[in-house]
Amino acid sequence: MNTRFLIGRFIDLCFVLFGVSIIVFLMIRLIPGDAVAIMLGANTEITPDRIAELRDRLGLDDPLLVQYGHWLWGVVQGDLGTSIWTGRPVLGEIASAIWPTVELTALSVLVGAGLSVPIGAFMAQARGGAAEVAVRIGAIAGLTIPSFWLGIVSIFLVAKLLPGVSALGYVPFTDNPLGNLQRMVLPVIALSLPMLANLSRLVRSAMLDALGQDYVRTARAKGASRRRVVYRHALRNALIPFVTSVGVSVGYLLGGAIVVEQVFAIPGLGRLVLGAISERNYPLVQATILVITATFVLVNFAVDLLYAAIDPRVTN
Amino acid sequence: MAKHRLAVALLATSFLTGAASAATLDVAMDTSPAGLDPHLVTAFNSVLIVQSNIYQGLTDTTAGLQVVPSLADSWEISADGLTYTFKLASGVTFHDGTGFDAEDVAASIRRVQSPEIASPLASRISPITGIRVIDPMTIEFTLSAPFAPLLSSLAGIAIVPAEAETNKEALQQVPVGTGPFKFAEWQPNGFISLVKFDGYRVAGKPQVDMVKFHFVPEAATRQVGLASGEYDMLPSIDPATALQLTGQPGITVHQTRDLGYTLVGMNTTRGPLGDPRVREAVNMLLDRQEIIDGALFGAGVPGGPLSPALVDWALPTSDFACYTQNVEGAKALLAAAGVTGPVKIVMKVLPRQDTRDIAQVVQQQLAAGGFAVELVNQEIGQFVQDWRNSEFDMFVSANGGSVDPDQYFYRTFYSGGSTNVFKYDDAGLNALLDAGRNVTDPAARKAAYDAAQMQLACTGPIAHIAYGSLSTAVGPKVSGFEINPLGRLTSLVNVTLSE
Amino acid sequence: MHSLRQNKLLAFALAFVVVQVVLALAAPWLGFQDPFRQIMSQRIKAPNEVNWLGTDQLGRDVLARIVWGARTSLFSTATAVSLALLAGGTIGLLAAYYRGWFDRIVMRTMDVLFAFPILLLAIGVISVLGPNAWSAAIAIAIVYTPIFARLLRGPALVLCEAEYVLGARAVGASDLRIIGSHILPNLVSVILVQTSILLSAAILVEASLSFLGLGAQPPTPSLGLMLSEGRNFLLLSPWPAVFAGIAILLLSFGFNLLGDALRDTLDPRLRDAEAVAQ
Repeated sequence: MNTRFLIGRFIDLCFVLFGVSIIVFLMIRLIPGDAVAIMLGANTEITPDRIAELRDRLGLDDPLLVQYGHWLWGVVQGDLGTSIWTGRPVLGEIASAIWPTVELTALSVLVGAGLSVPIGAFMAQARGGAAEVAVRIGAIAGLTIPSFWLGIVSIFLVAKLLPGVSALGYVPFTDNPLGNLQRMVLPVIALSLPMLANLSRLVRSAMLDALGQDYVRTARAKGASRRRVVYRHALRNALIPFVTSVGVSVGYLLGGAIVVEQVFAIPGLGRLVLGAISERNYPLVQATILVITATFVLVNFAVDLLYAAIDPRVTN
Repeated sequence: MAKHRLAVALLATSFLTGAASAATLDVAMDTSPAGLDPHLVTAFNSVLIVQSNIYQGLTDTTAGLQVVPSLADSWEISADGLTYTFKLASGVTFHDGTGFDAEDVAASIRRVQSPEIASPLASRISPITGIRVIDPMTIEFTLSAPFAPLLSSLAGIAIVPAEAETNKEALQQVPVGTGPFKFAEWQPNGFISLVKFDGYRVAGKPQVDMVKFHFVPEAATRQVGLASGEYDMLPSIDPATALQLTGQPGITVHQTRDLGYTLVGMNTTRGPLGDPRVREAVNMLLDRQEIIDGALFGAGVPGGPLSPALVDWALPTSDFACYTQNVEGAKALLAAAGVTGPVKIVMKVLPRQDTRDIAQVVQQQLAAGGFAVELVNQEIGQFVQDWRNSEFDMFVSANGGSVDPDQYFYRTFYSGGSTNVFKYDDAGLNALLDAGRNVTDPAARKAAYDAAQMQLACTGPIAHIAYGSLSTAVGPKVSGFEINPLGRLTSLVNVTLSE
Repeated sequence: MHSLRQNKLLAFALAFVVVQVVLALAAPWLGFQDPFRQIMSQRIKAPNEVNWLGTDQLGRDVLARIVWGARTSLFSTATAVSLALLAGGTIGLLAAYYRGWFDRIVMRTMDVLFAFPILLLAIGVISVLGPNAWSAAIAIAIVYTPIFARLLRGPALVLCEAEYVLGARAVGASDLRIIGSHILPNLVSVILVQTSILLSAAILVEASLSFLGLGAQPPTPSLGLMLSEGRNFLLLSPWPAVFAGIAILLLSFGFNLLGDALRDTLDPRLRDAEAVAQ
């Protein structure tokens, strides 16, 4: 892996994050209705003078460029700003919301990626006839089932069939490990299903490719067991697209978490950012989206490096 | 070995959850409040959590809509209605341990009135022009003019420590009041937790150790959470949820007539809507019972300008001729007003399920009279902005209520009133509202407000739709809860939890 | 033998999609009930002879609203995906053809958009434009543009290095002509497959946005909106929410299956788009 490649990718990364920060900054300020409107709610009696005083108090009246400059200067120094409502540093607010999302995403990757290998391998071997059609249709159904619908229906089903089982909300793992995992079951299913379906198909096609290759036939001819051939050789062949796809899926999961957290009442980053957008809590929206996109970009940066390590051709 | 470890984990878990649930009341509601300063943040969810439990006012409003003493033990009003003298309760302390006295009251009133704090509550006590501390337990307010609703207004003004008078930030983050619960933790979009205040003035209260308000945006999720025991209480639920929870094992749905109402607002500066006959025609085209059945799942009653819960004041809807649906009569009125052809109307809709459904039914009903209504469903920030700037032909929204007619009418219908976004301007009505505010004789007030209701019901800028039911659902562990028609959660102080 | 089965699958997928699209497009002329008509006495009814799939909270026919909702959904997503294909495809092709600094700047800009989780960027765009069906379509078009650009740039890069393209360049054929007659035709199968799969994903995104109240607005019939309203009275009557969910699944499933079958038939080695499209 050469240094030039690394530096080039790093510059790209900074460019992307800079671009993201500009888009987020402008976008949230273009949304009609500001923090004062949200704070007052409908039908509050207040004079226009008071509103002007409130806007001034919340710092909403500076020119945009000044606001952005202030913010960017803060970010460079590691200060992402303070929440309009709580007056606390947004980093603290993000820190308190990040663990549920990290856990949800990590478990979903684990389940999605973990199960996709045996399922994909099974699909590759079940060729022809009803079995193949069934797994194929199953995989597409997994991809196209709306996760919010699945979430709501499963909440009601669990409430009907297993009354007394807590399937909602979030308790920290350190407080109550069983309660934590129990509440993660439904959200993880809803979130990981499309990823599982997608990765299984990927494993399947990579394995079908591999099984047709000369070296696998040779290995078989030399008397290696079928199982050993499938897992040793074919899986290695599937590794690169698999790793890339997992990396990209992290972005999907972070987005999907927004809806899943909403439905299952999980106080994570998705809830935080949706709430912050609807409350016009500008510093919090900016910081949260920056953290989410930076995570995505960094994961993909890591995947690129891994990719380069596995397959040196890409660095050239 | 593995089994053993699991057993230990199970034991630990049941111990932990047992310990936590024994004394914690778990309340689920839709959104997090936008800050905790009781003089700054006046949105409903903030009132529910902060104003109801952490703070107290000089007075309080009971479930029966009576104004009763709270931090004030008693009061005297001068014969001319211009001087109020309050005797304060003794032995009250703030959550930070400092004692409560008249200086705190004076500072709180000044804080609400100060331009730097920019409190939206200022107009509720604008007639107070003089504050005099007579002794640590006595305070006197002087008014610029008689103001009959002052005592009920004061129920909504939280008393904060004198040190906070000029501090803009501190109370937003850590509220300090005299109420039964003190602030513990706020995780935005997660929860707010309050713990029992040991120094509360009533011995033995509150009876729960902790109240945790969880923010759960999905109504369906809150509903399932109550049924499964995850939550103990859902305050102010929508009619569909109330209907579904009624009769479920272990769940009690407390209901009372709401003081607030749903409405169709009309901009009197927009085209034909400026003509009182056109507004009367709009009223005549509505079938309020159909709206209630469709949009409120039957939970509500048609109402006039005042809530039927204000039994001393409200006129029955049978007094209002325009409340009987009469399409032909409406068409005749429109013709008399010179309105021909379809009237194009843009109707903005407050983002709530009930208001969205009301808007859809109203759209269909008004079509019968030749109104071509286009619905614009807005996000809350945009709605509030357009509402405040009078950027609408019509809107569908919900207004909160109060115990005094003045608070329904003055700010909403008086010329230039702070929430008169309709630009309604009628000298006759202004005179009636002034009379209601300044006259202290109850019979004379009643006469003024009767006349105001008759005028506003049919030709005012608001077509009042319905007074809904205010419902709070509680789980099997909760007892001692009493619902308050203002939606406040003041009775949490009396709630007990059983295992 | 294998290809026969593939053709059967393709035919099935095509028929599945065509039936749904025709039903939705021709809805106004097929004798369904009026999806806007409210009959208060017939509120939240279970399926019966008059209302085959029951009625909603305002007494409107669920079947009619689902068919019309599918229509709304198809109009929105087809508009969105066409716009994204046009913009993203052009960007990807030009980036691959001209390479160099142009490629770098354009594709990094696409990376900026691509770095947002899809739903988040769409929510942001709609918040600015105001919630309605058109905003949702524009938002989806914006978030899918970088996906099309990336998907087409790869194969286009390979084609640009092909002998006949290099030859055409050497004899001085115009850029437009080379792209139009040498590169684009070879990308048709990629475009068909990915468009179909992205349509499938876009249907889900549109439904998610409507579910969050950011897509089509009442009284417009919309599948996501029906689900969102229906979930508030799921215990009184699960029908509107359940049927709307199934309708979303079937629509999205059809296009995905079609894409899958097309890929098998046209170009088995194509990579999936769906990992990035939801």
